[in-house]
Amino acid sequence: MSGVGMSTHDATRRQVARSVRTATLMGTVASIHLIGSVDEDLVDAAADDCFGELADVERVFSPFLQESDISRMRRGELALEDADTRVSAVHRACETALDATDGLFDAWHAGWFDPTGYVKGWATEIAAHRSLAPLLGVPGVEAVGIGVGGDMQLFTSPGSDWVWRVGIADPAHPGGVVATLAVRDGAVATSGTAERGSHIVDPRAVDSVAPSKARSTPTAGATVVADRLEAADLWATTAVIAGFDDLGWIAQPGPLSQLRSGMLVASDGRVRRWARGVELTPSNRSWLSELPGA
Amino acid sequence: MKKIVYGLLATLTGVVLLFSYRTSLQSVAPTASTGSTSGTGTASSSGSSSAGSSSTGSSSGSSSGTSGSSGSGSSGSGSSASSSPSASASSGTSGSSLKDGTYTGQAADTRYGPVQVKITVSSGTITNVAVPEYPTESFRDQEINQQAIPQLVSETLNAQSAQLDMVSGATYTSDGYLQSLQSAIDEANA
Repeated sequence: MSGVGMSTHDATRRQVARSVRTATLMGTVASIHLIGSVDEDLVDAAADDCFGELADVERVFSPFLQESDISRMRRGELALEDADTRVSAVHRACETALDATDGLFDAWHAGWFDPTGYVKGWATEIAAHRSLAPLLGVPGVEAVGIGVGGDMQLFTSPGSDWVWRVGIADPAHPGGVVATLAVRDGAVATSGTAERGSHIVDPRAVDSVAPSKARSTPTAGATVVADRLEAADLWATTAVIAGFDDLGWIAQPGPLSQLRSGMLVASDGRVRRWARGVELTPSNRSWLSELPGA
Repeated sequence: MKKIVYGLLATLTGVVLLFSYRTSLQSVAPTASTGSTSGTGTASSSGSSSAGSSSTGSSSGSSSGTSGSSGSGSSGSGSSASSSPSASASSGTSGSSLKDGTYTGQAADTRYGPVQVKITVSSGTITNVAVPEYPTESFRDQEINQQAIPQLVSETLNAQSAQLDMVSGATYTSDGYLQSLQSAIDEANA
């Protein structure tokens, strides 16, 4: 469908200048894209700020760095109160997330505090708002966004007709795309069972009370679109833990649940899609007879 | 209350999807709107692509799928429950009737392209079900919806990475990035 539809739009898109900056951090690669014509020095400065903040977050939070606050806390060398102030903020957020996801998103599942699955989305959102979003006020800038290892926060100037086109990677075919998505402002996050860095474990798997529930169809990929990357990333990870058969979380109320839409791809290739708390699915034939005029 | 509407819209969307695979039921299938006069090139910024179903008379912007805009032209004589828009939550009666108005569902893919269901509620009952057709030629109309849902692509489109700006996927390692689609996009624009 989009192949036809994109044609007219592409004609205008190709004329738009774009600046790209990449950096290796957090064990992956971050990409900043700026749409529009602007002084390249300005892009460099903003990208340096943004990447710098993410690298500093990595320094504090990475469990792979021996001298990070998280590693020192794990070894008992550092108390939460004495750690970087961001650690206690993340600690509180992970407690909230644990509650909001009914225990599915558990930063303590390994027996120690490991917020790895939370930090990337949270930090990227903050850095993007601080370093990139202000660029929208610069004449000539139409849009700016950052993607870090498959999770992104995107901005578009209100006066621009730019629309970000996001591909959702096919978990079964590297390099392929299973779906596309149009976003002007917002965040997109995707988690997968093979994801690096975040330890995706269903706590229900060790719960002898509900062993069957934990045996649901594995989710190869879960994508969540939201206003903010913190929430999108959190729920994409949670969706993988919940499994393909559990979509009840999409309608949960709460501050971390301002979700727009999303998609699950099962390990067997099946797809479930939803928007604003409602799944889009062909089902429930009984309605046919109740529709007026049917 | 809202949940009822959402659930209803979801179900209706499901019905439409079901119909889309049964050519015998063309009266409700998305193809029924082929006779509509919706201009193909309607890239109007309003995003209200519901031009085809002018029968309902409710010109609710179809882009706002969540907050069903209440534009019921039918003079709701009974203003019984009109006053308090939010107080109804306390009662929590599951069988509460639908609030009058026009509600638009989220777009869903069918083999005819993306479709969207619109229902009109009058006096607490559904009086009309419309399936306004998206002008599939206009990608812009789909894009303008801030709540756009992932659109499934056919296999033939997989290779067209040049048309994407960003790729969302499970986190790759810095080594894996080199083989990733995002890397190709970054390269192409560097």
